[in-house]
Amino acid sequence: MSEKDMQNIIKEYLKDVKSKLPEWLKDKKEYKEILAELEEHIWSKAEELSGMGQPTTQSVQMAVTHMGKPESIAREYKRRGTPKVYITKEMWPAYLKVLGIVFAVIIGISIISQVIDFVFGNVDVGEFIGNIITGIQIGCLSTFAIITIIFVGLSMEGYFPEDFKSKKIREEEKQQLEIAREKGIPISEIKKKPLKPYIKPVGEIIGGFIAIVGGIFLIILPIPAITNLVDSEFLLYLQFAGVFILIEGILDLNRGLIGNRQMLTHQIIHGITIAVKLASISVVILMMNRPEIFPILLVNDPTEALINIGIAPEYYALFRGIAALIITLVALSTIEDFYRIYKAERYKSKY
Amino acid sequence: MIKRVKELDSKALIASKEFRDYVEKQETEINRGISVLCILSILTQAGEEGLHGYKILKDLTDQTNEMLVIEEGTIYPILRKLENENIIKSKREESGRKRKFYSVNEYGKKIFNHLSGYYSKLTEAIAPLFDVSVNLKSEKYLFCPMCANKIELTNIELRFCDVCGYNIEKELKERGLKNE
Repeated sequence: MSEKDMQNIIKEYLKDVKSKLPEWLKDKKEYKEILAELEEHIWSKAEELSGMGQPTTQSVQMAVTHMGKPESIAREYKRRGTPKVYITKEMWPAYLKVLGIVFAVIIGISIISQVIDFVFGNVDVGEFIGNIITGIQIGCLSTFAIITIIFVGLSMEGYFPEDFKSKKIREEEKQQLEIAREKGIPISEIKKKPLKPYIKPVGEIIGGFIAIVGGIFLIILPIPAITNLVDSEFLLYLQFAGVFILIEGILDLNRGLIGNRQMLTHQIIHGITIAVKLASISVVILMMNRPEIFPILLVNDPTEALINIGIAPEYYALFRGIAALIITLVALSTIEDFYRIYKAERYKSKY
Repeated sequence: MIKRVKELDSKALIASKEFRDYVEKQETEINRGISVLCILSILTQAGEEGLHGYKILKDLTDQTNEMLVIEEGTIYPILRKLENENIIKSKREESGRKRKFYSVNEYGKKIFNHLSGYYSKLTEAIAPLFDVSVNLKSEKYLFCPMCANKIELTNIELRFCDVCGYNIEKELKERGLKNE
């Protein structure tokens, strides 16, 4: 038997190993390095087993037997991740994240499509609510089943979230982790990554400042040329809205000034923000019921003066629909505050 | 060990598939964690230079009197996992066969010290269950009373266990390694 025969034995074995390797490993092209390492091992073992310094066909065959079944090697590569209800602990956050995003999209689409139908008079209030609930139920249940099956499959194959990232990103994350360990920066127990700051103070301060300026502007309404044309009741609503925006701005500014400390204070501020946001809905409801006072300002052609033409009655339904959408969005925006209260709880032990 | 038995005596217990499968499975389970620990031990002994996969297996077989035998191909997934967990590092030979050499990094050394200490104390504790005795080299090492971390006594400046922060001065004084 020639060297070619020995190479064929090894080639066949490696081909078998490759076919059994998990897909995430094949995707990375890293398997070439793994197969090269196995080949190197077989040649070294065959040299030793032959007892003559040179491998023989028989020693190569024996070396291959010593390597173990391709299934055993592949199983070891798949054996990663900590079991947690059929989906591994490592894949669990990604699973929840995907579910969260998909559910949010389904809820959003269900609500928006029904609001459009409602505005154009295709459905009444009962159908509007019923269709939203049915749409969310069917959409969420079916995507839940599909996503769960996919994640169970990925867990069984030994996938980790980082397998979906490029080698460059993985290297960068590894370096960041080493730096974090050296500097003593807290590391997320779930994601095994340096913990991101709870908030970006500068962003919160700038956002808060803009909201304060906007809120004050709405309260004092400093342009009489415009305000003189608008119904006084509508101006009152604007001033109420200004008060709410001002309060939210002050709360944001405070969170920015506190920075990444005092998680309990952050939680209290988010609790107040939720109350303010929900209270501000009352202003939109008041406006919603008075479409006739909503101003539409135009420049009068011959005189070039501003005039308030208001909303034509045929657009009142559209106006109410938009107001309903704003109410929904404000209510949904409180989800972020609830999430940040929950997130602050996790950060309490870190900061 | 059961995997080594090639010729089956039809009257022996091992001829029963049920018995053989069960024992084989349990042996594999016992070996899994120990293999990682032994691989780390061999790599720690090898120092910065490190070892390639084949040599690690050879040392593993030799140093355990051929008791700890793992399927040779399965060492590479273990090494890859340890590397991904940032416990060991690897570098390729620049010339010749360009083999991959593995060595334990600083973080890995701390992990190994702790696991090695834990395993030593565990073996000592469970030894009476099997009617055997285990003698820990207490003249060479101190095992942290709190977390079982293995601390080499060569560094007499030590005051705290670097894993759990336990003050070990009292233990060092008892051994006469620190002044009262």
